[in-house]
Amino acid sequence: MTLQDSHISLAHGNGGRYMRELIDEVFARHLSNGTLDTSADSVALSLPNEQIMFTTDGFTVQPLEFPGGSIGSLAVHGTTNDLAVSGADPLYLSLNAFIEEGFEVAQLERIVADLGQAASEIGVSVAAGDTKVLPRGHGGGIYLATTGIGVFRHPGKLAMSEVREGDILLVSGPIGDHGISVMLAREQFGLRGEIRSDAASVLPLTKALRSVPGVRFMRDPTRGGLVSVAHEIARATGLEITLEEAAIPVRPAVHTVCDMLGYDPYYLACEGRVVAVVAPDAAKSALSAWKSLAGGADAAIIGELHATRRLGPVSLKTEIGGLRFLEELEDDPLPRIC
Amino acid sequence: MARSAADWLERIQTLDLPRKVRIMNVCGGHERSISQAGLRNALPPNIELIPGPGCPVCVCPEEDVYQAIQLALHEDLTLATFGDMLRVPVNVRKTEIRSLEQAKAAGADVVPVASPQEVVALARATPERRVVFFAAGFETTTAPVAAMLAQGIPENLLVLLSGRLTWPAVSMLLNSGDIGFDALIAPGHVGTIMGPEEWEFVVDDHKVPAAVAGFESDSLLASIYSVLRQMQDGEPFLDNCYPSVVQPGGNPMARKLLTDVMEVTDANWRGIGTIPGSGFALRPEFSRHDARKILPDYGDEARRRMGEMPAGCDCARVVLGRIYPDQCRIFGVACTPRNPVGPCMVSDEGACRIWWSSGRRTRAEQAAE
Repeated sequence: MTLQDSHISLAHGNGGRYMRELIDEVFARHLSNGTLDTSADSVALSLPNEQIMFTTDGFTVQPLEFPGGSIGSLAVHGTTNDLAVSGADPLYLSLNAFIEEGFEVAQLERIVADLGQAASEIGVSVAAGDTKVLPRGHGGGIYLATTGIGVFRHPGKLAMSEVREGDILLVSGPIGDHGISVMLAREQFGLRGEIRSDAASVLPLTKALRSVPGVRFMRDPTRGGLVSVAHEIARATGLEITLEEAAIPVRPAVHTVCDMLGYDPYYLACEGRVVAVVAPDAAKSALSAWKSLAGGADAAIIGELHATRRLGPVSLKTEIGGLRFLEELEDDPLPRIC
Repeated sequence: MARSAADWLERIQTLDLPRKVRIMNVCGGHERSISQAGLRNALPPNIELIPGPGCPVCVCPEEDVYQAIQLALHEDLTLATFGDMLRVPVNVRKTEIRSLEQAKAAGADVVPVASPQEVVALARATPERRVVFFAAGFETTTAPVAAMLAQGIPENLLVLLSGRLTWPAVSMLLNSGDIGFDALIAPGHVGTIMGPEEWEFVVDDHKVPAAVAGFESDSLLASIYSVLRQMQDGEPFLDNCYPSVVQPGGNPMARKLLTDVMEVTDANWRGIGTIPGSGFALRPEFSRHDARKILPDYGDEARRRMGEMPAGCDCARVVLGRIYPDQCRIFGVACTPRNPVGPCMVSDEGACRIWWSSGRRTRAEQAAE
């Protein structure tokens, strides 16, 4: 059965019967697994005797549902992807839900079901959770926070400190799909389009690189996009990065929307892509490891790290052979007016 | 078949060029495309590309931005405007509210919008509340505002119009006696609305080579090649290097809407002064939607005279193409995108902002040292 009420009220956060019903009939129903015990105050986890990885993330996306995902699936993918790019297999998640008074239960069900499905696909258990109800006007419908525990399984060290001059950058697929999908879903610009978010688990991608020697570092380009990851690598290593415009995969529809609104795809968020830095002699095998996966068909070698001074920390070799400086993101990109 | 950007570049490289050629672009979108494609460092070094007066945010009069801020602060209304306008600073003391963004932070009801449709939807959603649309822009942005008014808008929606025509500014430059450029790249989007013929005076009256260009590298390089060939042959003509979009006569419907709803007036350009026949004003039939007629005027003559550019800011000369952004004394020093002093450092169409974003972070003098 599902919750009798059609909307969340403050009573669903009062610790009493309403709250128990909400937890049992919405959360536990979609997230049930061997570890989750909604009656316990804490839970015992059995962890292997290896390097344990730990991370946390908060989710406030608007709109809550968009083509290709929802805040529910995002809350799983965001946190487990941070573990995956660190070389870990995600094992457990905790979940905090901050729900606004008046939120529709049917939508909550969809979001939690999405979350449960994303977790089971990855094989991660939601082992602990908490819900709070906020008074009307104090929250964007629902906010989620997840904390993840994983076990390090990459055969070598993965860190910025491993990056060397001459190393190669790869991206696992087209960039900017998530940013544009969410923007179109807001319908703020009177534009419609069928661009699906790339929100997905990157675990198959990061696992595939475990058999490739010479992988130095991986990161998922979320907020701030590809350029922000490149700047982070450049700052940490003191090296410069030159990206090849012609090599960076961007879907034509994403290009079109960017041209219309004055956005730049290199700064748009992805939620299911990986940027990897690999040794020069590992680039080909890393690329073919990705290309053999469904989620890596459009993977590409997109740039290199070098010590010579060109334009600045991150630059783009344009299709006509010019060199463009890619600045660090300054503020929220705004649409231009002519 | 259309040539590729690489083809055009190769053809330009084989031309026998004079020691120095200065080509001005009119549109901020062109300057942005030029920077993003890295055209300056791909072209032969004797070709100088000069950013011109094509940033509507940059030339919007200070008194209009000031008026919008005061309306948002002191009147009970929603002030809607294009996102670029939010951060444009006015010349008031640092302790006072200097931009619409600061007014918003101080509690004023300021809403960034991306289209006139969005403003109409906003006004419809709050019929009991006055919504003022502060609409700054060139012909391309002003035509949709005219269409919005022609279709009929909710009674609670007023327009604070700051529309400008681009060609009179170029005409003023060409008539000033001190022409700082040898050829002109005319704006493609404006040509789409108004037709390329508007730019014939550049060739006919001033014998300056000109070409209308689009925003991709191939069209921009084609226009650069065209004006170089025109110079070489000594036969300037107005070329259309954006024929897929720019048609003779422009868009008759859009032009009719502009004429039906607005009249052309003399208008003030920030830091430049009044340019005859360069502005749009609402016709009397639309007075009841004209914020300038309905709402109190917060400006006064004294601040109007001093309210041009802040001290030290050289935006006016940048807009006129007289100096490059990095020749301004405060470029990258006191004036950065985070703390813009002049309007050219604010908008994505502003030359200073584009140059900063393309990696020029220091003044030319400093860089030379």
